[in-house]
Amino acid sequence: MREDKPFTIYGQTFESRLLIGSALYPSPQVMTDAIHASQSQIVTVSLRRQNSVSAGQDFWQLIKDTGLTVLPNTAGCHSVKEAVTLANMCREVFATDWIKLELIGDEYNLQPDPIALLDATEILLQDGFKVLPYCTDDLVLCQRLAALGCEVLMPWGAPIGTGKGLLNPYNLAMIRQRLPDMTLIVDAGLGVPSHACQALEMGYDAVLLNSAIAGAGCPVKMARAFNHAVQAGRAAYIAQAMPEKDVAAPSTPTMGMPFWHQN
Amino acid sequence: MRKPKVAILGFGLVGRVAALMLQDQYQLSIFEAAQTPNNNGAGALAAAMLAPMAESVICEADLAQMGVEAMTLWPKLLATLSMPVMYQQVGTLIVAHQQDMGDLRSFEQRLKPLAGHQAQHVSSHDIAKLEPELAGRFHQGIYLPSEGQLDNLAFYKASFEQLKNTECQFYFGKSVMLERNLQGVAQVNGEAFDWVIDCRGIGAKHQLDGLRGVRGEVARIYAPEVTLNRPVRLMHPRYPIYIAPKPNNEFVIGATEIESQDDGPITVRSTLELLSAAYTVHSGFAEARVMAISAGLRPAFSDNRPHIETDGNVISINGLYRHGYLLAPAVVQQALSKELL
Repeated sequence: MREDKPFTIYGQTFESRLLIGSALYPSPQVMTDAIHASQSQIVTVSLRRQNSVSAGQDFWQLIKDTGLTVLPNTAGCHSVKEAVTLANMCREVFATDWIKLELIGDEYNLQPDPIALLDATEILLQDGFKVLPYCTDDLVLCQRLAALGCEVLMPWGAPIGTGKGLLNPYNLAMIRQRLPDMTLIVDAGLGVPSHACQALEMGYDAVLLNSAIAGAGCPVKMARAFNHAVQAGRAAYIAQAMPEKDVAAPSTPTMGMPFWHQN
Repeated sequence: MRKPKVAILGFGLVGRVAALMLQDQYQLSIFEAAQTPNNNGAGALAAAMLAPMAESVICEADLAQMGVEAMTLWPKLLATLSMPVMYQQVGTLIVAHQQDMGDLRSFEQRLKPLAGHQAQHVSSHDIAKLEPELAGRFHQGIYLPSEGQLDNLAFYKASFEQLKNTECQFYFGKSVMLERNLQGVAQVNGEAFDWVIDCRGIGAKHQLDGLRGVRGEVARIYAPEVTLNRPVRLMHPRYPIYIAPKPNNEFVIGATEIESQDDGPITVRSTLELLSAAYTVHSGFAEARVMAISAGLRPAFSDNRPHIETDGNVISINGLYRHGYLLAPAVVQQALSKELL
C-alpha cells in the first residue's frame, strides 16, 4: 500500500481531486448544480476582455456564489504578451495569484505552444504568479517547467474537448515516474469517468475537465459520476494494484478438487 | 363602454407580440426607451429562426414543445398585419466540415424527440437537392424538415405600422417609472392602468432579480451571388453558427454567445469567426456586402428559461434568452391567457 499524500496546489490542500470548468453548460443554473454535484473545490474560469470586471459581473457572481476556489485561465491566448496581460487582468478581477496558463499553438486542435509556454511561465513566476501550466505530455517540457519553479503541471490527456481519454498513457506514466514529487493534474481530453479513474490510478494527483460534464446529456449526473471515478482511482492508487501477469493464475486452489472438474 | 387600459413596457419582440394579441380589446399605451420604433431589443438583431428541434439540443424538452406550439401561432399573428412578412417552413439544414463531424454526431445525439418533427440524415446528394449551391461542399448533414423562420425586420416594421393604425398611444425615448398608487393599482409615469405588461427585456434588469444579459454578435450581409433556400447551421466547436437567408439576398449570420453585459461593438475575432464560417459554407460570400454587424444582449435568467411573473396587475414576461422568436407567441399567450385573453 502506498502512503496517501494530500493533494496540494502551491501549499494549499484540497480534499477533492476533481477540478471543474465553467463553460459550455446549457444554463448557469445547470452549471451551478453540476459544480455542486461534482464536489469539486476548484473551478476554472475564462476571462475575456468583453466580460472583464463590470461587464461580466453577473456571471462572476454566480461563480463566486459557488464558494469554490477560482482558478482563472488564459484560454484563447496565442502569444506570450496576450497571456501575460490576461493573467494580470485575472489577478485583478479574481484577486488571486493562481493562473492556469494556456497558450495555444495550433488554432484547430488547441494544442499548447510549448516554447511560448516556457517564456510566459518564466515571466509570470517572476511576477509572483503561481503558475499552473497546461502543457502537452512531453517529459522534457515538463522537466523544464519544473526547473523554472512550477509546483503544479497539467499535461493533457488528449486535445481539449475531444473526449478521447489518455491518448498516451506511456508518456503520462513517464512524467509521473520522473517527477515524483510534483503535483500533476491531467487537464483536457477526458470524455468518460473511466478516463479520470485511469489517470488517478496512474498516480496523477487530480484531473481537470469541462466538456465531459458540460456536454453530457445530464451534466449533473455526469458530474457525480466523475466525482466517484476520481475517488475510485485515487483509492486504487493508494491500495496499489496487483502486478499484471501474462498467464492465468487460478484464484481458487485446485487441490482437493475432483479431477473431472479440473479442466 | 371604454376599453380597459393596458400599458406595454418595451417595444421589442415580446412587447410587439403582446400588443398584437391585445390590440382589439384594449386601449394600449406603449412605452419604449429607444427613440425610434424599429431597431430596439435583441429581436431586431436576431435571425428569427423557428427551430424547436435544433434548439432542443440546448434547451429542455418542454421549451422545445412550446416552440412547436409557437410555430402554429406565428402565421395567425402575421395574418393580423397589413404588410406581408416573409414566413417560411422549409426546414433547417445542418452541416459540418470533416474535422467537426464529432460535433455533428454530438448534436444529433442531443436532439430531443419532438412530436411532428423528425431529423433526417442527408448525403451529399440530398444536400445538393435541398441546397443546389452547396453541392459537393459537404458529404453529410442533418435535415430538420419542419423548422421555419421569418423576416424579423419586416415583422418589426409591419407590427409598428399595424399598431399605428389603431388607437394605440406610443411613447418613444421615454424611461418609465413603474409605481403603485394608494389603491395598489400600477401606474406608469403617474398614469394608472388596468394592466401593465412589462416586456422590457434587459431594460428591466434592475427590477428583476437574476436577470442577466448574454452578449450575441451577428452580421447582416447582402450576397447577390448566393442563394440558400433555408437556414443552414454549421457545426462550430464553441457555438452554433447559422446563416439565415432573408428576402432580397440578405443573410443573417450569427451568433456568438458570451456571458457579458457589454453591448459595445463586435470584436475582430467574432467578426472573423462569423464571416469565415459563412465563407467556408459558400465561397460566394466573399463578395458579399456587410450591411450591419451588431452586438446585443439577450435577456436571460440563470436557468435560461422564460419567466412570467404576475404581481397584482403587473405581468412581467422576460428571459427569452436566445429563443425569442421560437417562443414569444406561446409565452406571451400563456402570460396573457389567464386574465387578458
